[in-house]
Amino acid sequence: MYVTEASFSSLFALFRLHLTTCKKIFVIMRNKSEQASVLSDMNNKQTRYEALVKALHADIYRYAVWLIKDKSIAEDVVQETFLRAWKSLDSLKDEGAAKAWLITILRRENARRFERKQFDTVDIDDVSVEDPVAHSEENIHQREIRKAISSLSEEYREPLTLQIIMGFSGDEIAEQLGLNKNTVMTRLFRARNQLKEILTSQITFGEQING
Amino acid sequence: MDDLTFRKTVLAEPFTTNSDVIEAAKNDPNKLAFWNEIKAMETELQAAMNIPVPDTLAERLILRQSISEHKKEYKRRPWYLALAASVLLASVLSVSMIFTGDSKFTNDVYAHAEHVEYELMKSKKVDLDAINNKLASFNGQVNGDIGEVLSANYCYLDKIKSLHMIIRGEHGLTSLFVVPDAITQGMSSSFSNGIFEGASFLLESAKIIVVGENKSDVQELEHLAKSALLFSA
Repeated sequence: MYVTEASFSSLFALFRLHLTTCKKIFVIMRNKSEQASVLSDMNNKQTRYEALVKALHADIYRYAVWLIKDKSIAEDVVQETFLRAWKSLDSLKDEGAAKAWLITILRRENARRFERKQFDTVDIDDVSVEDPVAHSEENIHQREIRKAISSLSEEYREPLTLQIIMGFSGDEIAEQLGLNKNTVMTRLFRARNQLKEILTSQITFGEQING
Repeated sequence: MDDLTFRKTVLAEPFTTNSDVIEAAKNDPNKLAFWNEIKAMETELQAAMNIPVPDTLAERLILRQSISEHKKEYKRRPWYLALAASVLLASVLSVSMIFTGDSKFTNDVYAHAEHVEYELMKSKKVDLDAINNKLASFNGQVNGDIGEVLSANYCYLDKIKSLHMIIRGEHGLTSLFVVPDAITQGMSSSFSNGIFEGASFLLESAKIIVVGENKSDVQELEHLAKSALLFSA
């Protein structure tokens, strides 16, 4: 009987010692590394992330819509982009470079989408130009412009979006798209030239009808 | 600046601050008119491209991130717990195996040692031949002085058949058990529960367990058994 009691009591002593040790290690690890340093880092990172989202989500979303020409796919890509941005937020040292950094991530995410599956893209004039506002004359004119922009090929539409939505300079667009600046300036010129032609012909066409 | 360069420049960058462009527009009303037209178109383009952003997009982006972070935390946490749990489980298993391995057996040894008087009451006088007969089932025999044997009976220690001999010692009764060795591996060579002292040792194929209340009696019997009991392998 004594041996049983002795063995059980020593078993329990071992248990308790072990539990206490485990608990201590656990608490120490959590307290010291997580709470003290990681949590403050996390809070810091969280603050940075939320600031980044608030400052840039609208432009990034618009860029994605113009690039992808489908609002819901664009939103998915934006979600993926920001999630990836969160994961590698520590690599973003200069907040001034945040825009270009996010665009790079977004373009990569968009390319991955094509690797995964060839989606059928929907024309922007069907989906993304939907406006909840009543179709006033101004809105109709804006719809025409949006249609015209979405009819541009991607090589013209993308630098134009980067310039107009993101406010990028010719040099910045060149770096982003991996092109030289002259090519970028030529594409911008051709993009607007095409738009001008489309919009002018529409006006002429409209006038003819009205007349 | 020639007309084509001017047009190319303002179409590529409608709000350019290029001094050559500004100068050319000043000197040529046609160029200025063209530039103004492009600037007007640019303002319209900006308005048209400025599509509405879903109201709650920013909140959803932050929510999605915090959910994914929470999932990661949730996944990460059990790393410590899993380690602690597995170490705990391993130690519990090994400790319980060590202790429960022979505790039942040892308890039975104590139980039999406690009841030696009762054992003596029911047992008949025992002579050397009877002892040797019983020892034969363990391939053993008495070959020398083992002391005054009061009884020699088979008994069961944790379901294992053993021979229990009660021997008179200097200070009281001492028990000697003969058990097949294979069963008792891991049993410590000396043990005690505060009342009884015990020793166990191997003689060829048999394990001998000596238990008594007096430590010197136990030591003495151990000494006698080692010299007087012979076992063949």
